[in-house]
Amino acid sequence: MTPPILMSLKNVSKTYIMGEVKVEALKTTTLDVYEGELLVILGPSGSGKSTLLNLMGGIDQPSAGEIFFAGKPLTSAGEKEMTNYRRREVGFVFQFYNLIPDLTAAENVALAAELVHKPRPVNEVLEEVGLLDRRDHFPSQLSGGEQQRVAIARALVKQPRLLLCDEPTGALDFETGKRVLRLLYDIRQKGSGTVIIVTHNTAIGAIADRVVRMRSGSIADITINQNPVPPERIDW
Amino acid sequence: MTTLTRKLLRTITSGWGQFVALVLIVMLGVMIYISMNTAYSNLSQSQERFYQEYRFADYTFTVVKAPESVISRIEAVPGVIKATGRVQKDIPIVKAEDERATGRLTGYPLPQEGEVNRLHLLSGSWFEESPAGNIGVLVDPQFFVANHLTAGDSLEVIAGGKKVVLTVIGTAVSPEFVYPMPDAAALVPEPERFGIIMIPQIQAQQILGYPGQINQVVVDLAPGADETAVVREIERILEPYGNLASYPRRDQLSHAALQAELDGLKTMSGSLPLVFFLIAAAIQFVIINRLIKTQRLPIGVMKALGYSSFQIIGNYTGYALLVSGVGAVLGIITGIGMAAGMSQVYAQFFNLPSTIGGINLSVVIRSVVISLVVGGAAGLFASRSVVRIRPAEAMRPEPPASGKHTLLENWTWLWQHLDSSWKMSLRSILRNRVRFAITVLGVVFSVCLLIFALFSNDAVDYLVQQSFTLSNRYDYIVRFTQPVKYEDITYWNRWSEVQKIEPLLEVPVKIKAGDRAEDELLVGAQVTGELRKVYDMHGQQKQIPEEGILLNKSTADKLGIKPGDEVEVHTTLGIGPTRTERLRIVGLNQPMSGSGSFISWETANRLLGESRVVSAVMLKLDRPEMKEVEKRLYEMTSVSSVMSPQREQAAFLQYMDTIIVFIAIMVLMAGLLGLAIVYNTSLMTFQERQRELASLRVLGFSRREIAGLLRKETGVQAVLGIIIGLPAGKAMGNVLMASISTDLYSMPAVIYPRTYFIAALLALVFIGIGQQLAIRKTGQIDMVEALKNRD
Repeated sequence: MTPPILMSLKNVSKTYIMGEVKVEALKTTTLDVYEGELLVILGPSGSGKSTLLNLMGGIDQPSAGEIFFAGKPLTSAGEKEMTNYRRREVGFVFQFYNLIPDLTAAENVALAAELVHKPRPVNEVLEEVGLLDRRDHFPSQLSGGEQQRVAIARALVKQPRLLLCDEPTGALDFETGKRVLRLLYDIRQKGSGTVIIVTHNTAIGAIADRVVRMRSGSIADITINQNPVPPERIDW
Repeated sequence: MTTLTRKLLRTITSGWGQFVALVLIVMLGVMIYISMNTAYSNLSQSQERFYQEYRFADYTFTVVKAPESVISRIEAVPGVIKATGRVQKDIPIVKAEDERATGRLTGYPLPQEGEVNRLHLLSGSWFEESPAGNIGVLVDPQFFVANHLTAGDSLEVIAGGKKVVLTVIGTAVSPEFVYPMPDAAALVPEPERFGIIMIPQIQAQQILGYPGQINQVVVDLAPGADETAVVREIERILEPYGNLASYPRRDQLSHAALQAELDGLKTMSGSLPLVFFLIAAAIQFVIINRLIKTQRLPIGVMKALGYSSFQIIGNYTGYALLVSGVGAVLGIITGIGMAAGMSQVYAQFFNLPSTIGGINLSVVIRSVVISLVVGGAAGLFASRSVVRIRPAEAMRPEPPASGKHTLLENWTWLWQHLDSSWKMSLRSILRNRVRFAITVLGVVFSVCLLIFALFSNDAVDYLVQQSFTLSNRYDYIVRFTQPVKYEDITYWNRWSEVQKIEPLLEVPVKIKAGDRAEDELLVGAQVTGELRKVYDMHGQQKQIPEEGILLNKSTADKLGIKPGDEVEVHTTLGIGPTRTERLRIVGLNQPMSGSGSFISWETANRLLGESRVVSAVMLKLDRPEMKEVEKRLYEMTSVSSVMSPQREQAAFLQYMDTIIVFIAIMVLMAGLLGLAIVYNTSLMTFQERQRELASLRVLGFSRREIAGLLRKETGVQAVLGIIIGLPAGKAMGNVLMASISTDLYSMPAVIYPRTYFIAALLALVFIGIGQQLAIRKTGQIDMVEALKNRD
């Protein structure tokens, strides 16, 4: 049985005009994202994976094609609807965490919580990422891995239906990276949301339900992983 | 052009708004500096030259009547260079429709060469050597213009009890009539109703009935002469002739008014521009500091390439110097224009013959030097951190900005009730303390200036209220050429238009306490009177005492006496013998302007050895101004002047209209200052946190919420600045008022609540505009930026 579709991209493409040069960052692409799956988008730099993530996250608009989220078109939405979409439906995890330096760990999470009507309790989420004891620390007092876990907590507190992670382990060492992946893997296991990870690290593909491989601005292939492995068992 | 220079220009063009805002502040500073200092130096130079060339008296003595021969005795006193004797008397001028004005008829011995308080002919012709027919007189230019006179017009006056026709032959000024005012009680000149009539001495003596006699001696003292001793000696010589009053130059009305203006200008021209320069420097310091922080990497690269710290510092200091340079050029242009405008206004008020105006080159040069030095110092000081940047370190990414718990968090209750965005803003503010302090200070100063600009309106309004509504409740005050019996005029009460009349007896006296003496005018009014009330400068009502004196505080201070003391009072009315009586000081009064010493009408009569005489009466009518009544009054030869507070108020308000332009300019300057400061701070905050704000946009913050974040941060500084600025503005007003208050004028720095409100509102508007200009940039936030690698 195929799970219901959460998001679908239909003939979506993105062209940037840089001076007098047109750069086709994403060629015409069609992709469905299923509810509750863990999707890993793999590709080297310049393959179009980040462009794809930006379009799905509603922080960029496609040059052509249509994007639907839960059946509603995103492409014709205005500025306000897009903000609401990001606010209510999407959680974002950045490669460099992008925490607010002036807010403590708990306050960074609370900042996101204040955006939605029914957020999860801040402490509960912090406990989930294993940082309850560091809740009053500022980003500058946390290690990279801890900062990234706060960033994940900040995304999760809104209870988003879609969690987008851009190279979440890119700035982390091996062990710390795996702890972060474990968190993302658990979200999928608990069925508490759809997780999309964009990375150039092919090893991470092993934990996914599906792997989308990108090359030169288009999808090269999509593989279904019958037996995803927990992050502890992967290696890079 | 070197690449380094090109880089500097590119830094400027990429932050164009910031550069313009800074240039604006420097420009305002230079503009104020040049305009005020030019106006000051021109005005004071004109004053000095005129005083010197036309021999302005150091001391003036008034007597009842003395033979002209007394002059040579006075000139024999060591320390006296020159003494001029003359006759001077205020006489009624009969204008069209029997209206009256007052003319200060002043005799000038001919030839004028070498005399004290000489005349300077402005227009028309000089006195004829041997006048045939009508008597030719000169008048002051304001009176000439206000009464639409032309040379050859006749002027009818009443002198020595009969009508005399004079012919106006031109206009002239003298150092004592630079600002012609009838007396200290007048708030502003009323040239339609008061003028100086200058006439050859011999004819003045004839008309006034002073053959071979004088009633005034003006004296030029030798530099370094012992003034007190000389004055005592001259007073001794004049004693037998009824020495009525003597006063030094600083108490001369016209001089006091001009000097007050100069003093105010000097105070302002010294401090006001400096604050603008310092604020500009402070902001430049912050901007350059930040520039260096964000350009750590390129600085590191440049150093690695072999540029010296010195070259790089020079480059960043160049930014500040360019700001100062461009600001100075614009400031010079606007400042010279404004100086010309100010000089024009001064020329309208003050009769100074040598042209006020022209560019003062040394002021211009000084302004350029000051702005460049202050700007350069800020640049050097801010960019000194360049020395510490080591290439290898600089090329590694900077660690994340450190967050810190702040003191405010100890206030747990408050902290728990703040939402995350407030916490973010507050911590960010407290992290950039220097910038925070400079912004708050800038806003404080902007608000100060706003209050300062607006409050002169309040002070005037207060004065008008006090003087025209509270104190003087009559519609007309009628003065007589000499005291008359009150019973002789009580029939006025039966005129149908008159509701009420009340008597006044004004007695000029010399008050002696110990070895000190002061001239004072005692106003005798009915204790139970309703038409003249006494209020001090703080709006407190004072009771006119049945016995004793309610004395002007400044006179009391000069005499060193206090309530309860007894003083010796000598009358100096000029008619009848001098009488002496001991009176008790029962209270002190600090009036806003004019004389402020009161006695009861009965006491005044007793002082003169009279009963029930008046020198003036006050009339309350059915309606404020009634031409019929006025006409009837003017038909009486015993009436010397008829004054209406309404008319005086109108003249005063008209005078105030001329300063409205200055108020508007000040408001604009204050506002632009606040705008420029807030714009810069907001922009800096925005630029520093661009990546952070982009992440928040991705998290789902709307543009409005992002703008709100920035607004909170600058808002806190603005509100704090306004809160401090309001009382600071009041304090500044107090200082200014104290610095320009004289014996003749003292005004409290009255600021109505409404003014605080308007100042705060204006500050918010200007600050809001500055903030909005900066916040517009939030539309440019590129969310994709948040995902990019840090470089």
